Amino acid sequence: MDKETKLKLITACAECMIRHAEELTALDQAIGDGDHGLNMKRGFEALLADATVLSDKPLPDMLKAIGTQLVMKVGGASGPLYGTLFMALAKEIDDTPSLPSASAAFASAIEAVKARGKSELGQKTMLDVLIPVHRVWVTGGGTGLALAAQAAAEATVPMKAIRGRASFLGDRSIGHMDPGARSSQLLIETITTVLGA
Amino acid sequence: MANVGIVIVSHSAKVAEGAADMVRQMVGDEVPLAWAGGNSDGGLGTDVGHILAAIDAAWSAAGVAILVDLGGAETNSEMAIEMLDEARQKRIAICNAPIVEGAVIAATEASGGSPLDIVKQTAEELYPQ
Amino acid sequence: MTAHKASASHEETTRGSALLTNAVGLHARPSVKLTQLAKTYQAIVSVATEPTGPWIDAKSPVKIMRVKAPKGTTLYFEASGEDAVSAVAALVDLVERRFDEAEEEGHG
Repeated sequence: MDKETKLKLITACAECMIRHAEELTALDQAIGDGDHGLNMKRGFEALLADATVLSDKPLPDMLKAIGTQLVMKVGGASGPLYGTLFMALAKEIDDTPSLPSASAAFASAIEAVKARGKSELGQKTMLDVLIPVHRVWVTGGGTGLALAAQAAAEATVPMKAIRGRASFLGDRSIGHMDPGARSSQLLIETITTVLGA
Repeated sequence: MANVGIVIVSHSAKVAEGAADMVRQMVGDEVPLAWAGGNSDGGLGTDVGHILAAIDAAWSAAGVAILVDLGGAETNSEMAIEMLDEARQKRIAICNAPIVEGAVIAATEASGGSPLDIVKQTAEELYPQ
Repeated sequence: MTAHKASASHEETTRGSALLTNAVGLHARPSVKLTQLAKTYQAIVSVATEPTGPWIDAKSPVKIMRVKAPKGTTLYFEASGEDAVSAVAALVDLVERRFDEAEEEGHG
């Protein structure tokens, strides 16, 4: 992957998270501790500040550095989850990945997030976007991912939270989109737009 | 060999510091000891950076036993461990024990020179087997 | 304050006992000191609050902490092995020294 593309990816994702920080905060205030927007903004602002250095690295190194930054700067519950996602992706991915190999790397990153968060599909978490999107990727060859992400995020609205802070709300978590699902959707949309997928 | 080090990770800096104070008062200074508590804003929560710093401060060739309170402390401790080099990763154990009593018991066991697996096992006796 | 000094019998077991006279008895910090001291010996060392047991491993901090024997209880020691005699003597002495605690109420 060339430097320009990597730079575009980082910049676009950061700008997206900054733009949506209030929305993510509002979602997290409904069913969490209200800091998801702020946390993601802080983490991605740090990536933006380092964008030039990051985009100079080979893709695996870049992803690992992104993961580490997100762990350290996002904080909350999402920091380790997003950090793990990127760090695990970094372990499996090539510098110029093919679609199938990137898909396989994504699959193992999802497993790593499951292990980190001790969660499964259907518990109203970011996995409820990541897993369906990955399925569409595998069957559809890389197109339709943004739409799949949107549908998946919306599907979290009626779910009952079983993991994380929201799970303490029980039934009251129903009727609200999961903030981690929403931020995942936004990132997937941004990435697919930049990559023209 | 040096004694196993003890790291206390709580959502509350006060709890972590207080537990560390109790360990020192009850067990003494022969065991490397460090604590991490609160998030980066100083509120309740845990912070991977703080945990990494505590692991480093309490590091011993014999390894480190970590005591945690609620879920997030454990998750962030696991995250911290994963970010260390492999040699260190193998010598860190998170104990499934109550944070305060576990820290005291772990430190007591460590002060006698017990290896990491025994320190962890002993602290874990506090929970019903 | 009475203490039955360590005596080696014709079996391998050494026995001794001491009365808890410190204010908190065998509470948290005394438990820690007892186990730390026991661990410095090779011998297998046990403690009981009755002369017939049940016997508790003196090197186990969790088990000793659960004994919670109050002031006025007699602790019985049994040890076997190389340094059993020294172990029992040292433990009896620790109890008799009131675990080197300052005698204030409320100290754990």
